[in-house]
Amino acid sequence: MQVVLETKNLLKNYGSTEALKNINIQLEENRIYGLLGRNGAGKTTFLNLISGSIFQDEGDIQFYGNQLKRGETPKSLCYVKEKNLFFGGAKVIDLLEYAAPYYENWDWDFANKLLKLFELDPNKKFRKLSRGMESLVGITIGLASRAPITAFDEPVLGLDPLMREKFYNILVEDFAEHPRTIFMSTHLIDEVSKIVEKIYIMESGSIKLSDDMENIKNKSYFISGKNTEVESFLQDKNMIHRETHGSIAIAAIFDTLTIEEKEKAAAMELTVDNMPLQKFFSYYAIGGDGNE
Amino acid sequence: MKASFDDRQPIFLQIAEMIEDDIINHTYEIDDQVMSTTAFAKTFQINPATAVKGINLLVEEGILFKRRGLGMFVAEGAVEKILKKRRDSFYSQYVQKMLNEAKKINLTTDDVIELIKNGKRSE
Repeated sequence: MQVVLETKNLLKNYGSTEALKNINIQLEENRIYGLLGRNGAGKTTFLNLISGSIFQDEGDIQFYGNQLKRGETPKSLCYVKEKNLFFGGAKVIDLLEYAAPYYENWDWDFANKLLKLFELDPNKKFRKLSRGMESLVGITIGLASRAPITAFDEPVLGLDPLMREKFYNILVEDFAEHPRTIFMSTHLIDEVSKIVEKIYIMESGSIKLSDDMENIKNKSYFISGKNTEVESFLQDKNMIHRETHGSIAIAAIFDTLTIEEKEKAAAMELTVDNMPLQKFFSYYAIGGDGNE
Repeated sequence: MKASFDDRQPIFLQIAEMIEDDIINHTYEIDDQVMSTTAFAKTFQINPATAVKGINLLVEEGILFKRRGLGMFVAEGAVEKILKKRRDSFYSQYVQKMLNEAKKINLTTDDVIELIKNGKRSE
C-alpha cells in the first residue's frame, strides 16, 4: 500500500504553548481515517500544518515521499476547513467555480448532484447561509474535488442528523466508486464507525492512540457484577473507567478478552457487554486513571 | 439478506455470515456471482475494506472463489462446507448458552430436553 501522507516528529509551538509535539502519522492510499480528540487537542493545528496554511517548528511533512516546503500548498490535498473564510458576498456557485480549477479531478456533474442532495441554493449568498449550510458547501467542495487526499475538519458541524446521514452515505458511495484517501476530524465516533477504517486519537497535542476501528471495537467492554468479583477479574486488565453502586461495580476496559476469559467471567457471574464507541472515546480521552 | 448489522460481532463476520445464509438457503447457487464489495459498501453504508475482509474470509475457506476481473463466485461444495462449520459450532454457539441460562433458573438438562420435545406446549 502506498503511503500518501506522512508526518515525522511534527512539532508546533504557539509562544510557550506546545500545540503539537512529535506527531507521526502515516496515511495510506484509498483508506478512510478518523481523527478524534477533544476541543483544543490540536486537530485543527495539525490539519493547518499539512495543508501548508501554517508552518511547523520542527519535523517533516511528506506527500508521496516529497517534502512539503515552506509556503507550498500540497496539490494532491483538498482541505475543507471547519470555518470557511469565504467572501460573504459571493454566491454558493461562485465558491464552487472558484474552487474547481484547483483540483485536477473536479467533477461538475457530481458537484451539481451534491447541491441538489444537500438542498443548497447555488444562488444564495454565502453570508446568508446557516452554520449547517456552510458546512454543506465545504462538504460539496471536498467531495466534488475527488482529490487524492481530502481532509475534512469537523465536516458535520451544525448539520442535523438527517443531513449527517446524507453526508456519510454519499461519502461511502462515492468512495466505493472513486477510492481515495479521506482524513476527517470528528467528535462523533459512533456515527463514523462503519465508514472509518482507522482512527487517531489526539490529546494535548500528542497522538494518544492509533488503531483500526475494528480492533477498538473488539477491545472495548463493560464488565459488571459484584464488586469483589469485578476486582479480581480485572487484575491484569487495562481499566479505563469504573463506577460502583453499592456492592455492584461496572468497569470499562480497553483490552482483549479471550473466549476462555469470557467463559471465566460468566462462571464468576459477571456480565460482559460491548461498549459503545462514544463511551470508549470519552473514558479514554478523558485520561482514564480508572476511577470515578 | 439482513437489513442491517448488530453489535454482537465484527461487521466483516456478519457480512460473511450473510453471504453464507444466502448460499445455504439457495438464494445463491454454485457458480453464481455474489454481490461486489462496492455494492456491499453502497447498500450497507460501510467501508469497502470491511466488505473485502468478509469476502476474503469465505475465499480462504473455499466457499467463494475469485474470477479475475469479474468478481466472486460460489464454489463447488460451498453448502456442505458451511453446514459442517455451522454444525461444529452449534453446541458452543447455542446449546451451551441455553444450558447456562437453564442452570440459573434451576432447570436440569433433562428438563430442557423435555421442553424441546414438547415444543411450545407449556405456553
